[in-house]
Amino acid sequence: MTPPTERLPVAILGTGNIGTDLLLKVLRSPVLDCRLFAGRNLASPGMSKASHLNVPVSAKGIDSIQELKGEIALVFDATSAPDHLKHAPVFEQMGVVAVDLTPAKVGRMCVPAVNLDECLGLPNVNMVTCGGQAAIPLAWAIAQANAQVEYVETVSSIASRSAGPATRINLDEYLDTTEMGLQLFAGCPRTKAILNLNPAQPCIHMQTTIMAKITHPDLLRTREKVAAMVAMIKKYVPGYQLILPPMIEGGRMVMMVRVDGLGDYLPKYAGNLDIINCAAIAFAEACAHRRNS
Amino acid sequence: MTDQPSITVCDATLRDGSHAYSHQITLEQVTAYATAAEAAGFSFLEVGHGNGLGASSLQVGESLVPEGEMLSAAKKCLRRTKLSVHVIPGFATIKREIVNALEAGVDLFRVGCHCTEADITQRHIGYVRSAGHETWGVLMMSHMAPKEVLLEEAKKLQSYGAQGVVLMDSAGAYFPQEVTAKIGLLASRLDVPVGFHAHDNLGLSIANSLAALEAGARIIDGTAKGFGAGAGNAPLELLAAVLRQRGYPCSVDLYRALDAAEVAARLFAGSLPESTGITIVSGLAGVFSGFSKPVQRAAAQLGVDPRDVLVELGRRKVVGGQEDIILEVAAELARGSNLSAPNP
Amino acid sequence: MNRAITLVRADAEAVLEGRNGQLEALRGQHLFISGGTGFLGAWLLELAAVLNERHGFGLTVTVFSRNARAFAQRWPHLGGLEWITFQDGDIRYLSELPRETRYIIHAAALTDRRLFASQPSAVAETNGLGTLRLLRAANLLEDLKNVVLMSSCLVYGQQPWETAQINESFAGPLRSNDVNAVYAESKRFAEMIAQCAISESKLPVVTVRPFAFVGPYQSLELPWAVTDFIRDSLAGGPIRIMGDGATVRSIMYGSDFAFGVLSALAVGKPRETYNLGSPEAIDLGSLARMITQFFSPVPEIRTRVGQVGHDRNRLVPAIDRAAADLGLKVTVPLPEALQRTIAWNRFIQNK
Repeated sequence: MTPPTERLPVAILGTGNIGTDLLLKVLRSPVLDCRLFAGRNLASPGMSKASHLNVPVSAKGIDSIQELKGEIALVFDATSAPDHLKHAPVFEQMGVVAVDLTPAKVGRMCVPAVNLDECLGLPNVNMVTCGGQAAIPLAWAIAQANAQVEYVETVSSIASRSAGPATRINLDEYLDTTEMGLQLFAGCPRTKAILNLNPAQPCIHMQTTIMAKITHPDLLRTREKVAAMVAMIKKYVPGYQLILPPMIEGGRMVMMVRVDGLGDYLPKYAGNLDIINCAAIAFAEACAHRRNS
Repeated sequence: MTDQPSITVCDATLRDGSHAYSHQITLEQVTAYATAAEAAGFSFLEVGHGNGLGASSLQVGESLVPEGEMLSAAKKCLRRTKLSVHVIPGFATIKREIVNALEAGVDLFRVGCHCTEADITQRHIGYVRSAGHETWGVLMMSHMAPKEVLLEEAKKLQSYGAQGVVLMDSAGAYFPQEVTAKIGLLASRLDVPVGFHAHDNLGLSIANSLAALEAGARIIDGTAKGFGAGAGNAPLELLAAVLRQRGYPCSVDLYRALDAAEVAARLFAGSLPESTGITIVSGLAGVFSGFSKPVQRAAAQLGVDPRDVLVELGRRKVVGGQEDIILEVAAELARGSNLSAPNP
Repeated sequence: MNRAITLVRADAEAVLEGRNGQLEALRGQHLFISGGTGFLGAWLLELAAVLNERHGFGLTVTVFSRNARAFAQRWPHLGGLEWITFQDGDIRYLSELPRETRYIIHAAALTDRRLFASQPSAVAETNGLGTLRLLRAANLLEDLKNVVLMSSCLVYGQQPWETAQINESFAGPLRSNDVNAVYAESKRFAEMIAQCAISESKLPVVTVRPFAFVGPYQSLELPWAVTDFIRDSLAGGPIRIMGDGATVRSIMYGSDFAFGVLSALAVGKPRETYNLGSPEAIDLGSLARMITQFFSPVPEIRTRVGQVGHDRNRLVPAIDRAAADLGLKVTVPLPEALQRTIAWNRFIQNK
């Protein structure tokens, strides 16, 4: 009888909505083992939930993570960019892999469908942005299928209720980070990101459009590459759907995806938050499999 | 004689007009019109892409001329008339667009957002204030929120440092009673002056503008010959006439304003706005006026009725900046599939 | 006991007669009621039962309170209903709401006057922070339609004696450095928290300010005038009025109260505030006399039992707004309300 796969011991730092949703995903994973759910506020709803699920919690934040040196292999940081800048050296010193869900961008940008393998073994990876996780794989597919991609643009529409105060005050950083990600992965010097908040009730699900200016577009090849990419993404983001297959309209290549969230802790309409978490989990699970092989 | 406060007249011809010209306004046109606007004595001249700074994109159309050049060219023509820009966080960033616009000599930054999302403007308004320049807040698609919500959002803008608040009728959907109620409430409860930006989809732009003024608005937007998105804006030459007839003091010289309208008619001949089935349905459906042209294009390409596309966009409560949804809707209609709400 | 249940059931059916159309929005929905085990909670469940059994509404309800299961045991005719989930918990520590929740009535609060005196901090925490926790959890729901916040008429401060009826735009002075104001202040804070949630997240919240009520399920141990008078009369009297009996109140029957709350939930305008109570004023002296006529022999009424110069005050709502938007009205006149309450208490006492 083959021994069961050993589960990778992990910790989550940041007990807000994102951290809590991440916790539920970790608990569901057959190859991850959550040893600690840490933050600053024991009274937060996330801490309550973790406690009910018998997950060890701590309000000592980064200090409690440090106490687990040698016992955990990976930490998800769902705090904030300024906080992650303080945490990153601690994680490095501990020798744990840091998965950064903030816009801090200390480590390599990781979009699992595109560069998962390159990122395995790195001490710090950054999960870009929600629009980035949705658009970058397709921007990369476009670059694979077409010779001269001059310009790539992505527009995301998200429900107003899924954009909390942190998102709203950091809109500029969101756009910058997403554009940077597009440039990196699509190999395209000129990129643009746009974000729309829509307050309609019932809440809209996240929709992302990717557009490109291509000198001699190969639509057929683009469709093939995009379809393959969508299939790959669906493995770790089940709610990712191609709602408008690549087409050429008004001299631009256009395609649209929608992300329905899993609804683990965050509502289903918050696919934008869900996709980053799914991507982080995909990376962590790959680390687990790598360790076991 | 009344001691009415002076009305600030904002000329958005070279910004809203960009929508009517597929954002292909040339430097020559900028210079020619800006000269006429300066002569007419409008308080502000707004220049740039229809969706504001940094909006040149595949999403809402690429500008022919980089915005820095347009702004510099306009600035050269202006002396008393001040230069303003429209800025939408989510399209524009501080580091790129606002910093560059400040360098180009922009005097007023009108920072806009969908009418329920004022908190996304906090940093941008704050930045302009710290740079020592004037900034207003703009609530777009304001027909989509009740007056109490608009007041709440306007108060947020004011608290961030906005020195004026403008309600935009981006869809040309308002009727005068609604203008009276919404502008009236804001004018009575805000400290800063309140403004109105009309669109003519239902032929009510002047009536609505007048209602706004009577309800206490001290800022009014218009464009020469209504040159703007959809069925166009409140025509400035008519506004100037109406302001004069009703005794509202303003800096505008009526005859020079009429001349500026003639200049615009010549410069933009063939693209002046008109009322069509599309713009009417757009107004009724409450859809952003700037969608008219892309809806027409997509509908033509996919072989569907553009009016059906507009009705569905209105049903989905799509906001400005969401032009990509036009394609999704047109494609769905073309497939003839059951149109479902965005979430299953 | 059966006669008590029958009495309340008849009241619930009567108040809904021809008016359940108003509540159509709630059909098939899941209601979350925090603090749903007090006077209001019991009446809400009684009305919900009629809506389900008589009008096929298919409502499901979660009742969340510190003694939810104890309530279910105390009143088996409600506790046994399979479409109600009784969840024990403390509103201060609530972290999640059932996913399918679309409608919320937030009535969880500390309302016991003895606690105001001995545990004022707990009152502040439960009533204020409890509201914050609930609304934060509500923000994670898929499709929230409406939340009713049960506030209190005491947020008005003192109603001026000359003002016959107080309307929703009145705002009395703050007494934030007086612990005796802790309940009123905690309710004001709860209202403010609701406004914050509305402003930040556009949550649909209707604020309801209840006045004074009487009816089955109301504990006669509560220190209200009407419950005091009834309790004292049941015990043979005398009724003791501290002052000269000139203090003015208005009192609404439990069924009208619960209908008003359900109506606020179904058709109340988000962001709006509604007074909820009877607009018909009555002074305590007359109230006492009205109650005693249901007893034989008639209990004695003693006035000026308290200190000389005891305050006379008034607390009567104008309900024009609730009447217009919610169809609120008094369908059970006060004499009948009192008579039925007394009858119910007699049924309960006789078991």
